[in-house]
Amino acid sequence: MQYEVEIAGRRRQVVVTRAGDGFAVSVDGRTRQVDAARIDAHTLSLVVDSVWSADVSIVADPVSGQLTVHVGSFPIAVTLNGRRRWGRRDEGAGSGTGPQRLVAPMPGKVVRVLVKVGDLVTARQPVVVVEAMKMENELRASREGMVADIHVREGMSVDAGALLLVIQ
Amino acid sequence: MSAHRVQLCRLKKILIANRGEIAVRIIRACRELGVSPIAVYSECDRTALHVRYADEAYAIGPSAPRDSYLRIDKLIEVAKQSGADGVHPGYGFLAENRDFAAAVRDAGLTFIGPTPDAIETMGSKTAARTAAMRAGVPVVPGTDAPLAVDVADADIATAAAAIGYPLLVKAVAGGGGKGMRTVTDPADLSGAVRAARSEAGAAFGDAAVYIERRLTRPRHIEVQLLGDAHGTVLPFVERECSIQRRHQKVVEETPSLAVSPALRAAMTSAAAAVAKAVGYTNAGTIEFLLDEDGRFYFLEMNTRLQVEHPITEMVTGLDLVRWQIRIARGERLDLDPDRLLRPNGHAIECRIYAEDPDNNFLPSPGRIQQLRVPAGPGIRDDSGATAGLDVPIFYDPMISKLVAWAEDRPLALSRMQRALGEYLVTGIKTTVPFFTWLLAQPEFRDGRFHTTYLDEVLKARTGRPFVEATPDLEDVAAMAAALEAVMSPSALAAESPGAGAGTVSARRWRTQARAEGLRSL
Repeated sequence: MQYEVEIAGRRRQVVVTRAGDGFAVSVDGRTRQVDAARIDAHTLSLVVDSVWSADVSIVADPVSGQLTVHVGSFPIAVTLNGRRRWGRRDEGAGSGTGPQRLVAPMPGKVVRVLVKVGDLVTARQPVVVVEAMKMENELRASREGMVADIHVREGMSVDAGALLLVIQ
Repeated sequence: MSAHRVQLCRLKKILIANRGEIAVRIIRACRELGVSPIAVYSECDRTALHVRYADEAYAIGPSAPRDSYLRIDKLIEVAKQSGADGVHPGYGFLAENRDFAAAVRDAGLTFIGPTPDAIETMGSKTAARTAAMRAGVPVVPGTDAPLAVDVADADIATAAAAIGYPLLVKAVAGGGGKGMRTVTDPADLSGAVRAARSEAGAAFGDAAVYIERRLTRPRHIEVQLLGDAHGTVLPFVERECSIQRRHQKVVEETPSLAVSPALRAAMTSAAAAVAKAVGYTNAGTIEFLLDEDGRFYFLEMNTRLQVEHPITEMVTGLDLVRWQIRIARGERLDLDPDRLLRPNGHAIECRIYAEDPDNNFLPSPGRIQQLRVPAGPGIRDDSGATAGLDVPIFYDPMISKLVAWAEDRPLALSRMQRALGEYLVTGIKTTVPFFTWLLAQPEFRDGRFHTTYLDEVLKARTGRPFVEATPDLEDVAAMAAALEAVMSPSALAAESPGAGAGTVSARRWRTQARAEGLRSL
């Protein structure tokens, strides 16, 4: 998946591809192997080229949508894909390609799984209902594809960031 | 002072007439003494840490201080209702309000602080200066009484000429830099007096002003004191508080690089003499200005516990809040005076505020999303903040006081830098990056500063952000944002868990739910 990332007025082309258990991430053509482990809903532990450890928190301002990436405790304002406001369009990675990994945006309970493995889904089709904060919330496929993996079942409690479904 | 026998009283239940980190601090001292802490809270403080840590908690009204934390009547009512036998005022709010101290006393309760008379005397800047002079302590040259409203401009000009320029026009009832005007040119004097009077009247309800010489490049050095009800007054090793932004302290440390043992002996004796002269009891601090040639002048006295008290605790091993309660109980200060004056190591405090240092330190209220506070050797963080809590707009936006102690100043500085590197706060802006920058400045590291140093150095760098990432860090940030988009696109879109009703997230959920005819909040 390819992104344009702007930091401090400078744009970088970032390409992310899966490589084994991790990712190959290239920034303006320079590629590094990155193992990314999720710590909590907003925090990743990165190990770059099997050596460099970086703790990162990625947070979107709830009002403006502006992304701030804290590297350690160091805050850096980031713009992804030329849009400072993340989440203004459909959920999903915008112009990305590759598998869609739907995750729980907050802790809750899986109420209904609306598809099964092998089903073809269209863009914006609801695929799973998660109850959180006393409301039922439908999560939808952002693009068309085929349901490849379902990682939850009805009645299961999920944490924020938990992987629910993969659509290819 | 009367020679009556001081009765020991138990103090089993203390009402804390405050909020935030200082309320938590007082609760901790109560817990260690087996005293039951009572909390009060305004509307926006319902889920604050001090409420959660207390034994009992009482709602005292809407969020604005004048409707809650400044309501003497409500506080006394709660004290009576809860069966509290003592009241601790913390700092700010009513801590230096003699009417509150008197109301507590008149309700038959113990005020954990000085007497109403001591508050009144030392709370008036001009009366305090008079007390200092009587105790033989030099004061900053100035008018010894407030300027009467009807004094002719010509007479003010004469008084000012005797004091010398540059000078400050200051509010008698003032504090926090309000009601102050600097005058360098005699032609500006009468205009400055008018403006200061107007500002003082609005901020403190008392338009009285006085004039004081403005010293060039002084240091702000203060002396902590404890006084018991038996006539003992003990001073502590000084605190260096010259790092100020617009008259607000941001970094404090102890001991001061500019104070030799001989100067320490002189300043602490002078502070104790002033406090003794007014029969001062409980905790208080005397502030001095130390000019470039080593002469010190009494500035004012704060008749309460100060924000920066933790650094004194770190280098003396004493618990000042515990001593406040013990003194209020009638106990004696059975401490070795030398121990209080011989610091063990060096301590430094950074006041972490929810302010955006890259936007002129504008307050950055909002919800704290993540809060990862540093720990490890020599690190202390006094806080009332927690993850998931909103930083309210009604009070000062303090997140915490981060304190580093080490065997000497260079080690304390590197320890503080280490701790700042661990301090993660997301969801709001904080002054952590500003402190990282400040602690790297050569003048700060060498101790070459004075009360206008910070304002000057900030002005010289306007426009440049404090957080200037290296290319490597920027690459990591770019990779991180892209990886998050790949791994959890909807996590980025839906903001944080527990987002409140007013945020975009909850609004979007509600819209979606309604559109689908599903159950909604």
